[in-house]
Amino acid sequence: MRKNVIVLLARQLWQNAFRSKVMLIASVLMVFLLLFSAYSGWENYHDQNYTRDIMQHEVQESWENNPDKHPHRMAHYGSFAFRLKHVLSVFDLGMENFVGNAIFLEAHKQNTVNFSEASMSTGLLRFGEVSLAMLLKVIVPLLIFYLGFHTIAQERENGTLKLLIGQGITRMEIVFGKWLGLFGLSLVFLVAVFLVLLFFVVLESHDGLHTDSLLRYLVLLVSYLLFFAILSAITILVSAYSKTAKGALVKLLGIWLLFVIIVPKSLQAMGYYLYPTPSKIEMETAVEHDLVQIGDSHNPDDPHFKALKDSVLLAHNVDDVADLPFNYGGFVMATGEALSTEVYHKHQNQLYEVYGKQNKLERYSAFVNPYTAIKNLSMAFSGTDFRSFLHFKDQAETYRYKLAQEMNRLQMELIPNKGKAGPNVISSDYWKNFPPFEYDFLSIAQVFKNELTSLLALLLWSVLAVVGLLRSSSNLKAL
Amino acid sequence: MYSLLFKSFFRTKIFLVSLVLLLTVGLISILIGKQYLVKQENTLIAAQEFQEESIKKNVMYHNDDLGLLLYYLRFTLAKKPSNINAVSIGQSDVNPLLQAVTIRGLEGQKYDTDFENPSLLMSGNLDLGFVVIYLFPLVLIAMTFNLYSEEKEWGTWRILAAQTSGKAAFLYKKLFVRVLFVFAVLILLMFMASAILQIPMNENFWALFLQSVLYLLFWSTLCFWVVSFLKSSSFNALALISIWVVLTILLPAVVNNYVLNKYQVPEALEAMVEQRDGYHEKWDMEKNVTMDGFLEAYPQFKKYPVPEDEFSWIWYYGMQHMGDLTARETSAEMMEKVMLRNKVSEKVALFVPTMHAQLSFNNLAGTDMVSHLGFLKELTKYHEKLRLDFYTKIFDNKPADSVDWSKYKVAYYTGKRNIDWVYLMLPTLLITVVIGALGAYRLRKL
Repeated sequence: MRKNVIVLLARQLWQNAFRSKVMLIASVLMVFLLLFSAYSGWENYHDQNYTRDIMQHEVQESWENNPDKHPHRMAHYGSFAFRLKHVLSVFDLGMENFVGNAIFLEAHKQNTVNFSEASMSTGLLRFGEVSLAMLLKVIVPLLIFYLGFHTIAQERENGTLKLLIGQGITRMEIVFGKWLGLFGLSLVFLVAVFLVLLFFVVLESHDGLHTDSLLRYLVLLVSYLLFFAILSAITILVSAYSKTAKGALVKLLGIWLLFVIIVPKSLQAMGYYLYPTPSKIEMETAVEHDLVQIGDSHNPDDPHFKALKDSVLLAHNVDDVADLPFNYGGFVMATGEALSTEVYHKHQNQLYEVYGKQNKLERYSAFVNPYTAIKNLSMAFSGTDFRSFLHFKDQAETYRYKLAQEMNRLQMELIPNKGKAGPNVISSDYWKNFPPFEYDFLSIAQVFKNELTSLLALLLWSVLAVVGLLRSSSNLKAL
Repeated sequence: MYSLLFKSFFRTKIFLVSLVLLLTVGLISILIGKQYLVKQENTLIAAQEFQEESIKKNVMYHNDDLGLLLYYLRFTLAKKPSNINAVSIGQSDVNPLLQAVTIRGLEGQKYDTDFENPSLLMSGNLDLGFVVIYLFPLVLIAMTFNLYSEEKEWGTWRILAAQTSGKAAFLYKKLFVRVLFVFAVLILLMFMASAILQIPMNENFWALFLQSVLYLLFWSTLCFWVVSFLKSSSFNALALISIWVVLTILLPAVVNNYVLNKYQVPEALEAMVEQRDGYHEKWDMEKNVTMDGFLEAYPQFKKYPVPEDEFSWIWYYGMQHMGDLTARETSAEMMEKVMLRNKVSEKVALFVPTMHAQLSFNNLAGTDMVSHLGFLKELTKYHEKLRLDFYTKIFDNKPADSVDWSKYKVAYYTGKRNIDWVYLMLPTLLITVVIGALGAYRLRKL
């Protein structure tokens, strides 16, 4: 393989492309879409985070400003957690608009994360959303196909392929030259998008987030580079093995429709069909059922709670709960909270397992569909996948549990038992000392771990692309 | 002539591929709809059981304290499932089918979501509506993009031109055969859906049916118009797929992004916090602050005494209601914004048949935003009725067994909306006629 020949062939493809109308229309469209999605992505990120940040502070302030009172009242007063967006959500919206944004955190109860954008949207949301990543994942692949379908097939139809070979250019040089040219064309779009994105990442990176965002950015960049390289190879291969340019185009369009639109959706639907999600009311029934099995705190004659009481009395060598050295009500609630939380988590994990099974089919299809690989990678590293959402939810739940148990502890230690002398309220300093909710994003190491399948699939596809190009170099038909 | 055209069409690969694709995916979409209906049914049964069980159990423990009992009890209002939902699942996977509420503040319970896998929400349901809106146009494109050019490229056009009197008429006939096939499949799928999903053939069904027919007519004329430029197969394929991408992906997505950003709803979060604070702060205030507001809203409870230095249920439920009253304005603003999003989307959709079809499908199937808002309004009324029923009994210190609990079953909401036929049909019809005329004009000199 001679480098200069390959570069020459690539340059020729570039010149032809820039002379064609397709490239002109595509560029105009892409510039418009790029500007629009950068603007709307940024505005969305900025405005939403701004509101949520303010709300989070307000909530903390009102928490701290509560007067002296009984700690259990504060446990019911509770707090809120607002989900902050990662700066890379400007790039890939992922599930951002389909998951909730705010959750009320109170004692005794795991609330749902509410107010997703989807719940406040019209049916239009189902057409999808425009984001920088969507342009790269959905639109640019189509453009690559448009720009590359004729490369080899048309040269063969015109008879120029034979001429090239006759002039001593090897088949491998032709295949790799064309590939390089097409890949180079796709990089025009890639570079444009990632330059815009770099601006946002640098603009918004403060403190410790800087390296994290940049690292995520780099992984995204490399992933999309590989993705485009693979797509360019697929285009060249289809063109090389098609009799006519028209045939190549039809095949490529079919591939695009299948792999980007039809297959992912069908597999997701199939997963859902095979493993139906239980409704919330069913899970609540199951949770309640399990709790009653263990012990019903509402039932005064419940054996579990009666045994608990007896053992506590025995341990402290007293006859009446009022004589215990701590507040008995607080103790019962702390035990109940631990118990109900455990049961709830058990059922919640079962639910997530169902989700996992539903997604599995689509997730593993990355090995036959590179689009799926890039889709999942892109979401995960942009902090907009389901795991990122769960990470938020887990943190919120941990905070809720800590809050409830801290209030129970204060009640146990500082509030006298029924019938004993002492204040029924405690100082508001205790609220001020309770740390506010702070959200941090998933660590990049964790994201790598979550997306191992997709990464592996993308790498395999890259190898496959190279092998395919090499093979076609040896059996490319000149006529 | 037609029999020959049909014969040659049936021999094409694309005919077989299209037939298999549409029928399989169509059938899958109907089965998914079926599963959706079964899930709805199971959920309602579970809700009914949950309610009965929890009433039974709690009445046993708290018979002498109705106020405490009603702190726990939840009452369900559900959307009455209608089988036509399954044709276009729309927003009904995001928005819950039912809401089980206590008589405490409603604002904190109203927006609770049901569980759904976000991956599924993101990729959307594969319902029959999707098949009609996305796949049918693709099949139309695949069958018509080389309507003229294949004859040209095969070299058969000259022979044809010599043998037929009207060259344009020949193309029309060829187009007619293909469009007829697509409509046959559509009608077959629609009736299959009606049979399998047991959808009554009422006005809504026919409206949905006609909207689908009109929508595909739009795509047929669009394909015809592109063909009328008499360009090469490659050009047509490229152009038609590009149009498809713009109409079914880019344009709706751009409009959606625009609407979401333009009408942001921070009120949703604000109302949530306002409600909590509006209720909780009352614990630390004089009792009359609560009672003044509560009795202004419900003067009929003036006669009940409110003890100054001890807890009473009238004060407690009064505080709960004050939470709702505090958030009322913000909450109403939020609803207005959501309605505005809907209104703007619908306006824009009048000019884009894909969007219009999707929104009309959801509307006719009763799975759109508006029908959920209707449900939320009804929930507010339902909640108030529950409260007023129970308030008197609680404040009178009646025991729990004085209530006839068997009356409290799952309640249903049925949203009834009239079909505006002109609004439904006219936009797409006009666009179709204009495009068709343009195509016919181009072909007149063929």
